[in-house]
Amino acid sequence: MIDKIMIAFKSIGKNKNRNFLTMLGIIIGIACVIAILAVGDGFTKTMTKGMGTHNDKGRVTISFQSSSYDDVTSGLTQNDVSTLERVSGVDHVKLDSSNTAATAKIQYKTKRESTDLNKAPKHLKLYKGVGTTIDKSDMSNIFISHGLATRIFKGESALNKPLIIEGNVFIIRGIYKVSDFNYRPDIYVSKDVFKQLFANQITQNIARIYVQPDANKKTVGKQAVQQMKKFGEDKQMGSYSVSNPDQISKTFTKMLNYITYFVALVAGISLLIAGIGVMNVMYITVSERRKEIGIRRAFGATSNDIRSQFLIESVVLCVIGGLIGIICGYALVAVINAFLPFKAIVTGYSLAISLSVSTAVGLIFGFIPSNKAAQSPLVGLLKEE
Amino acid sequence: MLKISNVGKSYGQFKVLQDINLEVPEGEFLAIMGPSGSGKSTLINILGLLDQDYTGEYLLNDKNYKDTSDNLLSRIRGDQLGFVFQNFKLLTTYNVYENIEVPLVYSKTEQHNKLERVEDVIEQVGLAGKEKSRPSELSGGQQQRVAIARAIVNHPKLIIADEPTGALDTKTSKEIMDIFTKLNQAGTTIIMVTHDEEVAQYAMRTVYIRDGRLYHDAKDVFKND
Ligand SMILES: Nc1ncnc2c1ncn2[C@@H]1O[C@H](COP(=O)(O)OP(=O)(O)OP(=O)(O)O)[C@@H](O)[C@H]1O
Ligand SMILES: [Mg+2]
Repeated sequence: MIDKIMIAFKSIGKNKNRNFLTMLGIIIGIACVIAILAVGDGFTKTMTKGMGTHNDKGRVTISFQSSSYDDVTSGLTQNDVSTLERVSGVDHVKLDSSNTAATAKIQYKTKRESTDLNKAPKHLKLYKGVGTTIDKSDMSNIFISHGLATRIFKGESALNKPLIIEGNVFIIRGIYKVSDFNYRPDIYVSKDVFKQLFANQITQNIARIYVQPDANKKTVGKQAVQQMKKFGEDKQMGSYSVSNPDQISKTFTKMLNYITYFVALVAGISLLIAGIGVMNVMYITVSERRKEIGIRRAFGATSNDIRSQFLIESVVLCVIGGLIGIICGYALVAVINAFLPFKAIVTGYSLAISLSVSTAVGLIFGFIPSNKAAQSPLVGLLKEE
Repeated sequence: MLKISNVGKSYGQFKVLQDINLEVPEGEFLAIMGPSGSGKSTLINILGLLDQDYTGEYLLNDKNYKDTSDNLLSRIRGDQLGFVFQNFKLLTTYNVYENIEVPLVYSKTEQHNKLERVEDVIEQVGLAGKEKSRPSELSGGQQQRVAIARAIVNHPKLIIADEPTGALDTKTSKEIMDIFTKLNQAGTTIIMVTHDEEVAQYAMRTVYIRDGRLYHDAKDVFKND
């Protein structure tokens, strides 16, 4: 076996150009396979992590959509909760908010602006300033985004400058950058400050209705919306609807599926063409090496030895192609990630699948040429020069 | 060692070999002579279990391998026989060491024994230091030594050589024949095809083929004309 693998490497190495061209199809095919699986895996992971809770059984979500964009005060109230809990089939109701930030009026010298603001996350990578968290000992410490800093302070350095937020003076201790795919508010304050000054701003506009085990989620949702339209406290200010968190993912999944089918088609076609190429190159190899086959047969190689030697060669060729394909796949995934709203990830099993696919291509398309090599009559082979 | 009775072979209407009877005892050094196209290679291919498509009976070590599986035939070729082919038949892309190693790949020889065995036969045919050379970097005589080394690396009981000196000058031919003589003296049976009278002198016995028929005595060869 090891001998045969060595022989395979040797003879592949002898025709590098020819074999590399043959491998190209496999490289492209496998890179596509890696990319498809990475996007699929990344998507699934994002969905289960981010929206997985929505998919919980026995729960309906009602959301309030304010009719005016500026309105941040109307939403769902404790009275609404009581109304909802009277709907038949409802077990209990919890309020939640889809808004992640509050809004605040800020001022520096004569410049005024209205921006979103939130409590700082546990860790934040600062672009300017020290540390990754807000120093809690001083309530006036805040971080602001690079975007806000350039808007307000233009060329000046914003670090350690005062900023008035809703009449209170804060000091800018850090500046962070906001990426296109990751929403962040323009200002982070410490947790305590947020609680004291801004938490009441975050209106609760989502009601999670926990349904009794024997109740139908759909009917409960419908009835709940009807009830809210009649009795909802802020019914004048906006509308209520059953929010279907699967909706977003559904359209997205559909789009993703089309892309996946397309890439899978590309992968399939290039693997098929690659396979035919492998078959062709193996036929050439076999007829080029008739003399060698004859010699090996005369010195003890069985026809099985010959068959397996060429099969191994075909598999080694495809697996080398597969490995290069995996590397290219990683590069492809990196490129794709620059355009995706979530992160495509290459998992161990997709590597395993890629290698299995390459091996299979080698075995399937190497089989007939290898058989031909194994079954050539010996006397004829020994006449070859 | 081997015995063939009434062996014949034809390609369609053309009878390449007819009615061949020959017995080779163990330890013999036999030369087969005959003009080009007379069927010498055809005969030794049958003797070497390379060609199973013949009529008549062939016993190697008292065994008939006519209906033996391909796998077993390969084993026997690998373990008991050693071939030196017309025109060397070396693998041009492999070096001397790798060429000689070929039979060991298919016999269950362990890696460290392989090295030892290849080095042994390289020494034996006088090619020490040439392990890494390619056949194209060697003279005809050296290439033939490689072919002989490859034939004997598995310590075969029978060496079958087709024109081992065909492409060599007289001096080199002599050196090659000295190697054969030594192998024969060490107990190896040798069957050698040649059309060189002088080379045939090294053998204990010479038989003749003409038009597919075997003659045991030179004076019988032209009897039928
Ligand atoms: N596959 C074949 N089909 C038809 N005829 C063949 C075939 N192989 C060999 N022959 C014929 O068989 C005869 C014997 O060939 P063989 O190779 O045994 O000759 P030879 O004695 O070894 O000659 P040389 O000294 O030139 O090597 C030749 O006349 C050749 O034309
Ligand atoms: Mg011949």
